[in-house]
Amino acid sequence: MTMRVDNHPVLGKQTDRKQVTIYFNGKPYEAYEGDTVASAMLAQGIYALRQHEVSGKERGIYCNIGHCYECRVKLEKRKVVRACITPIYNGMEIGSLTGFDERGE
Amino acid sequence: MTAEKTIVCRCEEVTLGTIQDTVQTYCCSSREVKLRTRAGMGYCGGRTCRHVIDRVVAEITKEPIKDEVQLSYRSPIRPATFAVLGGGKHDNES
Repeated sequence: MTMRVDNHPVLGKQTDRKQVTIYFNGKPYEAYEGDTVASAMLAQGIYALRQHEVSGKERGIYCNIGHCYECRVKLEKRKVVRACITPIYNGMEIGSLTGFDERGE
Repeated sequence: MTAEKTIVCRCEEVTLGTIQDTVQTYCCSSREVKLRTRAGMGYCGGRTCRHVIDRVVAEITKEPIKDEVQLSYRSPIRPATFAVLGGGKHDNES
């Protein structure tokens, strides 16, 4: 079951997009070319991209225009990027910054 | 009391109640609220809550919001890694 909108009232049917796989905390997720990390994860029903450093509360997309940094995630072990404005590519490895350990429990 | 549950500063999780109490007890400016409660000092650099803090303070102290920026923008205005600060390769994301 995916939350993805396949038939949009305005944009019409979303058919001709190539499917790719991205990894979040080690788990594979299905995504499509042209998605951002945030929208791909949201389509897979993953809302929590990180946990608040102090309170541990789960945080995810808030402004979705690259303004508030709530959706910051680790990219490929060294970089920290905003999920809402980072386009995906095949085999992309995303990790949440704090809270979830490497195995993604 | 919903003020205690209403988050104003998301990055530092400062609630509306905390800010209101701070302004009432110290009758201070938004800058002092920022120094006392860390509201506006978070990762996003005050982008989300700067204006809300100004409005809350103005509402309580009844003084109009001044034209010049109360909660100043502090460098780095965008999060930067030490690699970037150290003159390493610069790309648009931290």
